[in-house]
Amino acid sequence: MIGIFMNNSGKEGGRVQAGQIPILRVDADTIPRAYEQAIREVWEKGISIRTEYDRPEDPPSRDATVVIVVQEPFAQPRFHRSFADGLGGLAEYVMEVVHGAHDYWVKPLEEILKGTESKDTRWTYTYHGRLFEYRVEDLVIDQIDAMINKLAATGYTRRAQAITWNPKLDPPTEDPPCLQRVWGRLCEDEEGGYVFNMNTHWRSRDLFKAWFENVIAITTLMRTIAEEIGKKINSPVRVGRYADISDSLHIYGSYFREIEGDPEKGIKSFFDKLESRTFEERTWHSDFVKSHFIDDGLGKGLKPMLEREMEMPEDVRQAIARELRSMEQDDYIV
Amino acid sequence: MAIYEQIADEVVKGQADAVKELVNQAISEEISAEDVLNNGLVAGMNVVSKKFKNNEFFIPEVLVSARAMTAGLEILNPLLAEANVKSKGKIVIGTVKGDLHDIGKNIVGMMLQGAGYEIVDLGADVPKEKFIEFTQKEDANVVGLSALLTTTMIYMQEVIQGLKDAGLRDKVKVIIGGAPVTQAYADQIEADGYAPDAASAIDLAKDLLD
Repeated sequence: MIGIFMNNSGKEGGRVQAGQIPILRVDADTIPRAYEQAIREVWEKGISIRTEYDRPEDPPSRDATVVIVVQEPFAQPRFHRSFADGLGGLAEYVMEVVHGAHDYWVKPLEEILKGTESKDTRWTYTYHGRLFEYRVEDLVIDQIDAMINKLAATGYTRRAQAITWNPKLDPPTEDPPCLQRVWGRLCEDEEGGYVFNMNTHWRSRDLFKAWFENVIAITTLMRTIAEEIGKKINSPVRVGRYADISDSLHIYGSYFREIEGDPEKGIKSFFDKLESRTFEERTWHSDFVKSHFIDDGLGKGLKPMLEREMEMPEDVRQAIARELRSMEQDDYIV
Repeated sequence: MAIYEQIADEVVKGQADAVKELVNQAISEEISAEDVLNNGLVAGMNVVSKKFKNNEFFIPEVLVSARAMTAGLEILNPLLAEANVKSKGKIVIGTVKGDLHDIGKNIVGMMLQGAGYEIVDLGADVPKEKFIEFTQKEDANVVGLSALLTTTMIYMQEVIQGLKDAGLRDKVKVIIGGAPVTQAYADQIEADGYAPDAASAIDLAKDLLD
């Protein structure tokens, strides 16, 4: 075990020496608030530990087991401005998770089975592929449809879940899925209306550069599930609180320069950047984001995606075109 | 506030519609397209570039500003061509074959465009033949290669070899970047330069072309 753990710089204390991974909890009203609080928590209280992705010169990552609760995933402002893509790219990622826009980028099974020996650089999985088309021997199972049916029949069931992990395909690959499980349940509010609560469980998670985009996509899926249950039970189902549970939520060592800044060179730390602006100035409302989701003017977004990705299967293309039409309506919230 | 400053300010704020309106106003006031470009759009993107370098701007904000700049540029382009205004240099850019990641490449392209270079973006998963074809066709000064994976960055060497075989290597500078790429790797494959981030890519292009 020598060499795995390292002390946090400048900190004394028992966490690392005791060999215990901290368990942190973040509770926020909106997604951007949750994102900022989680970064502060993991940065201040996480342990330092190596990851398989570190380059030799990188310091160890800051890491913790973290439970994050977002009370109102579609409350505004819904978008933080800190993520590693543009708004058009984020829109395409949402289409990838919710509609399977990039399932056709997954390599054939025989290549996946070669593990790290495979020279094929296409992907080994997508979340949509695993959730909507999970393969067990000769069966292909739409787990999200099963969740919807289960919850429509018995809203209080504890059995509505979808998994991603494939014990045959995933251990040998270099890049196995981070999301492991989606679980949901219906509750009633004070007026007797239905509320869909959803939990997601993640094996590992890049907090600084992936968490926010993951959550925008997965809460869009959450809303889709709620709407589909509503159609089946002929009653509206409201999106409730979203709980996000990561075994390892981390800030990679390679990001520390960006987090810490370099005052001598006039480079701000991430936290100074946050503090130098109001919350409004470091977030965006869905109204602003929507036109960028449709077309960001730089070749990304739903319209350019449909024009660019001609190999996308027709049913997926139609689903994205429907999403685009909905997005063009005034009351649609991205 | 002078109209140039207003244009630059709206570029920084990422307000594409306001930029379009102000650029049209400037043109109607018979201000030259070149002046609107350099003192308005490029000046605005210079501020964005500096803020990004100093960790004051987030990545999506850079792209929102780039969209605003592009909106203005679309109006100016025919006028610039008419006036025979030359860019600082032409850069063919793409993510190499086998690699579908394009965020870093897009940011670098946008920031270079904002610094006054003409960008020919070939997209992601680009084979060497396409780099060679466009280097020749566009008479490019620089080829920018991007890769996010250790498994795909090795293709950069093939592109450089392809440019050599096509007799283009002496006519064009090759710059590389991406998460797994290092200066040592750039030296190993005989690239002309390596940029660890988007802001450095601008400095690198300036050093190589000026």
